[in-house]
Amino acid sequence: MRKFTFKLVLLLLVSGSCCWASDLAVLSGYHRPDPFGGIVASDRPGASWDHAIKLSAARGGYVSFQLVIKSDNPCNNCKLSIESSQPVDMYREWFHLNTPDKHYYPDALIPVQLPYSFQMPDPENGIQGQNARAFWVDVWIAPNTKPGVYHGQARLMDGSVSHKVRFTISVLPAEIPAQDVIDIDSNSYGIGWLRHQYPNALAGSGDANEEEQFHLLQQYYRIFYENRGIYHVLGYSHSGYVDPGFAPELDGTGAQKHIVSWDKFDRLFGPVLDGSAFAGTRRGPSPIPFMYLPINPEWPANYLWWGEPGYQAEFTNVVGEMERHFREKNWTSTHFEMFFNQKKRYKGFEWDGDEERFPEDYSYMLAYHDLLMKALPADTPVHFVMRADVSWTMQQQMHVLKDAINLWCAAGGMFIWSADELPALKQRGDTVWNYGGTPSVQDVSTSIASDPLRTWVLGVDGFVRWLAVDPGPHPFQALSDGGTETLVYPGERFGLEGPIPSIRLKLQRNTIQDIDLLEMEARRGSRDSIKAQVVRLFDNTNLAQWSHSPSPPPAGQAVDWTNADISDALKPYDEQFPPAQPDAWQRVHDFTLEHSGGLQ
Amino acid sequence: MKAIVSLLLGLQLALFPAHAAVSSAQENTLDEIARVATIMLDGDVCQRIVTARALAHMLHSAPRDEWQAGDNYEVNNDAFIQTKKTLIRLAMIATYPVDVNLWMPVPNTQDIQVVIRNKHELSQFWNGEVRQAMPASMQQVLKTGTRVTVTEKPGMVSVLAPVRNSLGEIVGLVEVVSSNAPPAHDEQ
Repeated sequence: MRKFTFKLVLLLLVSGSCCWASDLAVLSGYHRPDPFGGIVASDRPGASWDHAIKLSAARGGYVSFQLVIKSDNPCNNCKLSIESSQPVDMYREWFHLNTPDKHYYPDALIPVQLPYSFQMPDPENGIQGQNARAFWVDVWIAPNTKPGVYHGQARLMDGSVSHKVRFTISVLPAEIPAQDVIDIDSNSYGIGWLRHQYPNALAGSGDANEEEQFHLLQQYYRIFYENRGIYHVLGYSHSGYVDPGFAPELDGTGAQKHIVSWDKFDRLFGPVLDGSAFAGTRRGPSPIPFMYLPINPEWPANYLWWGEPGYQAEFTNVVGEMERHFREKNWTSTHFEMFFNQKKRYKGFEWDGDEERFPEDYSYMLAYHDLLMKALPADTPVHFVMRADVSWTMQQQMHVLKDAINLWCAAGGMFIWSADELPALKQRGDTVWNYGGTPSVQDVSTSIASDPLRTWVLGVDGFVRWLAVDPGPHPFQALSDGGTETLVYPGERFGLEGPIPSIRLKLQRNTIQDIDLLEMEARRGSRDSIKAQVVRLFDNTNLAQWSHSPSPPPAGQAVDWTNADISDALKPYDEQFPPAQPDAWQRVHDFTLEHSGGLQ
Repeated sequence: MKAIVSLLLGLQLALFPAHAAVSSAQENTLDEIARVATIMLDGDVCQRIVTARALAHMLHSAPRDEWQAGDNYEVNNDAFIQTKKTLIRLAMIATYPVDVNLWMPVPNTQDIQVVIRNKHELSQFWNGEVRQAMPASMQQVLKTGTRVTVTEKPGMVSVLAPVRNSLGEIVGLVEVVSSNAPPAHDEQ
């Protein structure tokens, strides 16, 4: 008996030492862990390691949290499982060494199957001294979920020792609308980057290689759509080269110029234009709302004929055929954008299409609008729009080009000086987006919410992240620029055919879900009050601070401004906003659900 | 949107180390185009393309504005259009993709600037900047007036030829270029 008691005590001590050595904790999505058992510096305020979490969610969206396993001892046989009555997607978080500050941050999310067996430290991530691994959990709350309280738990098996954390999700009657109130766009250029990011999938050449490129691009449309964003890829470069598939194939010259094949274009874009590329997503199939056309000064008309009758003949022939093709395909839900990206500094053409700075370039926009109108039947059901990305002279362009441009993409900071133009633009039915960059991984987690929030507060229709698919040359070794040019990563390293998401993309998606609900509440008549409460909760500011700049634009003509002049003039506006706190959006989320409980 | 040119030529070369060289027949065609370009291009018109204002900004950098030269780059449209159309016609002499680019020295410096590029976006020299250091091969053309063939980048051939004005001065050069390497066109 005495001997048996001794053995029991010994067993308890041994298993107790296991329990002390490892732990399973739960964190909100806004407090990102590091690989050494801590929280990244920018997300530390308000962070707590818990063994249970209570979440609230509307229907038709996701709710997220993180699981972190900390262990002082290596674990070769850890297993993580989740029990949940609602569908769960789990991702393992990749810790990137961020070159600018030499610290590790989790960002790329690699999908894993549950239960998931793993080791500690992560042999693949290869971090010296790692004693924490992290997992992102998305719980999908389907639109038809019955409101109520749902319980779940995550279980870690570390050898023979088990740890549990519980999560409780209060599902409210509110339902996130299928259509987002703001367009949060991820932009990209060309297809050459695919070859770098997918060296194995695109190692070959010929038709199979081309088909793989098309398939990969469709995966990019899909990942941004599933995360409540839109995606753009521009198919031509500054001197007018059009990538294969981005335009129908042409033949002939002058009055005889015409389309000879839609094969590649239809294979690349057909599935995103009819929505079939999105089959199987939780949001369901839907055509993309916006898309760049390949039109540029060198396509479809040959620049050789610029200023001559042949230019108009080639342009109207081909664009007219495009309209017919789109109509016959019933691609009438998408806005096809005639957008000029070239800049004269790149020496392809004599005028700036993008960010026009010189007033003499406006006449080109008017000329192309005239050509477009000549090419299209007046009663076309296809939505052709003319887009201008504007910065230096946006206010002048909004007047001079008012009859030509109907999609404005305005520089995010400078737009504050032209915000008074917004009602007139909206009155005439224009779409107005802002554009800018993407917060770095070293910025506080909730900074990803700032641009979507400003978009909604200002009443703008969308925000374009000007480059969102370029993680740099070796993102899984080090992020050379803090991830400021990407929200997704190539999945090829992990055996996945296509991109994988990031924590920042997930946080952005959750922000958009809440803004969709806030807009529903605002439409009930208390818009200003709702917005005022939201910005106060977010960073203790007021609406006037968001919508007006305390300082005017630089003096003189825009053509004489420098970038330093603009930065100086914007500084008083920017300085009104205190640094965001990690839980800033959590407060907005809680407010949103509190006020939208009855919405459906 | 804020402009950063990302020329992936280096990447292209890293990814496609092996490709067929441009044939000698092709090389002869490029040389012939270059010879004709020297005859056809009007150096006086070329000298009028870049505005004095753009050159002034190119030569006097603003310490707090790294984009100053690019943001203030402008051309005289008529001179640009006339010359670009000639370059396009010259490229059409070949039955395969060829670009004819115009390069001109940056006055009072040792630098060169590409002034006109064309739709295949081929060049062995352009680095995406408004101006750049002048390669020795270009110096040679500007100094001697002879045509120079350059095959530094695998799969690419450029023939450089002088452009003269009405005084007989060499004021620039053309790069007649073709490539058998896969294209790379990710410009942002």
